[in-house]
Amino acid sequence: MIQTVTLTIDGVPVKAAKGASVLDAALEVGICIPHLCHVPFLQDTGACRICIVENVKNGSSRVTTSCTLTVQEGMNIQTNSEKIRKLRRNLAELLVAQAPNSKAIQDIAVRCGVKEVRYPFRNENCVQCGRCVRYCTEMWKANALGFVGRGKNRRVEFPFATRPDFCKNCGSCTLYCPMSITPCGGPMKRGEEHLCGKCESQAVTAPNIIGACTRCELGKGFSCTRHML
Amino acid sequence: MTTIEPILEGRRSQPDQLIEVLQDVQKICGYIPQDAMKTVARELGVPLMEVYRVANFYKAFTLKPRGKNVITICTGTACHVRGSDLLIDQVKGQLNIEPGDTTKDGLITVECVNCLGACALAPIVVQNESYLDHMSPAKLRKIIDHAKGKKKKEASDAQVQS
Repeated sequence: MIQTVTLTIDGVPVKAAKGASVLDAALEVGICIPHLCHVPFLQDTGACRICIVENVKNGSSRVTTSCTLTVQEGMNIQTNSEKIRKLRRNLAELLVAQAPNSKAIQDIAVRCGVKEVRYPFRNENCVQCGRCVRYCTEMWKANALGFVGRGKNRRVEFPFATRPDFCKNCGSCTLYCPMSITPCGGPMKRGEEHLCGKCESQAVTAPNIIGACTRCELGKGFSCTRHML
Repeated sequence: MTTIEPILEGRRSQPDQLIEVLQDVQKICGYIPQDAMKTVARELGVPLMEVYRVANFYKAFTLKPRGKNVITICTGTACHVRGSDLLIDQVKGQLNIEPGDTTKDGLITVECVNCLGACALAPIVVQNESYLDHMSPAKLRKIIDHAKGKKKKEASDAQVQS
């Protein structure tokens, strides 16, 4: 029998399986916490930081990523407070500045309420979410991809920078990469990067409906959990 | 690779020995060759990716062959203030290489580190594990000339012998 714990997410009492993450528990009951690096059935690393929540305890609160936070009895989680929205908007803004050439990231930015990008665009091809690396390692047990280097030189690479013969050519790294779908207007050239924001009407303005996931169209670009299950 | 066989002795199938094994490989070969990494991965039962990642992560491991003489220039705060960038310019001008590279004849490797913890002796340069304090571009030039000169002397010795 599955042991359950009861916690409060956005004021709603939620029952969740013991050992589950707060993100999974919230998505299970239809509370939408935006997320990027989370892939169901893979270990979460909290790389993108988009899924941050407030963990209120004894009147003080700690901000942590919900995908790495395990549910505990009597937890009080705020997924949509003013503080979290502000932080999340800033994180999404940084993601767009890092890699504007991705529909998934543009979608997340819209979902998090980004109105303008105040940071210089870098137009990189990777946000180091680690989805490809984790899928390759955990699902396929191929170990053909990994993070190499450290600090600002950290990057995803094959061993010795060439495709090894033990790569299973499954293509999951491309499939799960948030960069594989370009924005609707095609790839942006250097110097022309901008926040897309055209799908704003599709986003549910979160303050009005507290913690509702309406299975918005915005998740398709990065296979949001609600679209995959 | 026959040379790394003794390192692996008694350590096979022990993934936790990875860093120790790589350190020994580095000690014997001077750097970590690709073949050695493949052998280590196979013998220790660690994915090749993991070996490559670890070897790339730590600065103590080099993946490129190093020269006979390794000249390490400290670029920490104290050394920088007392003119370590002049030393780097000296090296660049004299050897035509960037820090981190090796000369084409494989004699000299120049590296930069962030601090050696001997700031009172700034600017400091390490040549093959001996610490040279209060360096100036002129002193460094002599050291490099000496390191280069060895080769000429050896070459002329070899010619005499042949």
